[in-house]
Amino acid sequence: MDLKFLVVDDSVTMRRIVVNTLKNLGYNEIIEAEDGEDAFKKLQENPDVNFVITDWNMPKMTGLELTQAIRGDEKFANLPILMVTTRGVKEDIIQALKARVNNYVIKPFTPQVLQEKINQILESL
Amino acid sequence: MDKVNMTLTQVVQMISELKEVFKFTEKIIPLLQDLVEFMRDIVPLLEEINERIEESTAKMPTASDKIDSVTSATEMATTEILDRVDNISNMLNEILNVLTALDETEKEKDKLFDEIISEIELNEKTKELVNKFKSYNHIETSIENIKEKINNINNETYNITLALQVQDITAQQLAAVNHLIVNVHEKLSKLINNIHSSHFDEEKKISTELDAPEKTTFDPNAEYDTSSSRQEEIDKLINSQKGSNDNDNNGFASQDEIDKLFSGE
Repeated sequence: MDLKFLVVDDSVTMRRIVVNTLKNLGYNEIIEAEDGEDAFKKLQENPDVNFVITDWNMPKMTGLELTQAIRGDEKFANLPILMVTTRGVKEDIIQALKARVNNYVIKPFTPQVLQEKINQILESL
Repeated sequence: MDKVNMTLTQVVQMISELKEVFKFTEKIIPLLQDLVEFMRDIVPLLEEINERIEESTAKMPTASDKIDSVTSATEMATTEILDRVDNISNMLNEILNVLTALDETEKEKDKLFDEIISEIELNEKTKELVNKFKSYNHIETSIENIKEKINNINNETYNITLALQVQDITAQQLAAVNHLIVNVHEKLSKLINNIHSSHFDEEKKISTELDAPEKTTFDPNAEYDTSSSRQEEIDKLINSQKGSNDNDNNGFASQDEIDKLFSGE
């Protein structure tokens, strides 16, 4: 399966790190968005995106709101979403699961963890 | 007569009470004097405290701006480091490509050399020389060693990239501090404005609002923890609800299961 990623983070640094990591893992089709609002717009423009990696804390539209927006749109409802965030308290994880993210990675992340979570999500589809 | 007696008794009683009042007043006057002196001392102190609070409150917007500029500066510096690391990585990859080409050329040369040798009739002396020549020919091994070292350098530079995640985490911590400053500033300036309002000192009023930091959402608990324990705990939490849920809901948790997880059952 050819994967086309949408990487969403308001931090330029984090976007670059995630993109570099994906490229090192062999994924080369990647587009970027700087917040949830931008991401949702880019999803409409790129309906071939088949994997979303999103941060939680972002202005305009958070990663959680983006997840809810994606799940609420029948075109993208089953799109795999991996949340990559600093938020590690139990309540946050529960909230993310309620919003139906597929998996959850805590920052700072390692490439091994990122690859493992991508694989787990793809296997569960 | 009785009436006169009663009135006199009352007068005496009142005088007696008045005497007691005077006695009490004698006792209380030093206390009141102390209190007045205390107030005389404390009022300038309170005014000074008030001034200090006003000064500190006035400095808060600067502190908030400085925090914002620290975040911007670290983000710029991090981007520059990432650019340099990318450049190093690209150059290393170019060297790797050159080495791979060199390795292939060397292998071709060896093959050609063997072919040439096979076409020539060698005496004992030339055979010995050919073997000696071949024993010095370690270039392929050297190329492999250099490639391995370059890959190690590439991995190390990539580790620098990963370590730069600290910038995002510290930016969130600074945003949390900024949020706190904005709140404290708002409360203190309201308090100061109330004091000035009670003194009809309208021109001394200060703005209660600071420019909100651009990054409006942040995690106050963000931390740079590179141990795997936090991820393991999260995995445990997620896996605990996934096991029973793989066959339905497309791999997502059902509401009941999440509620069960949340209630700690």
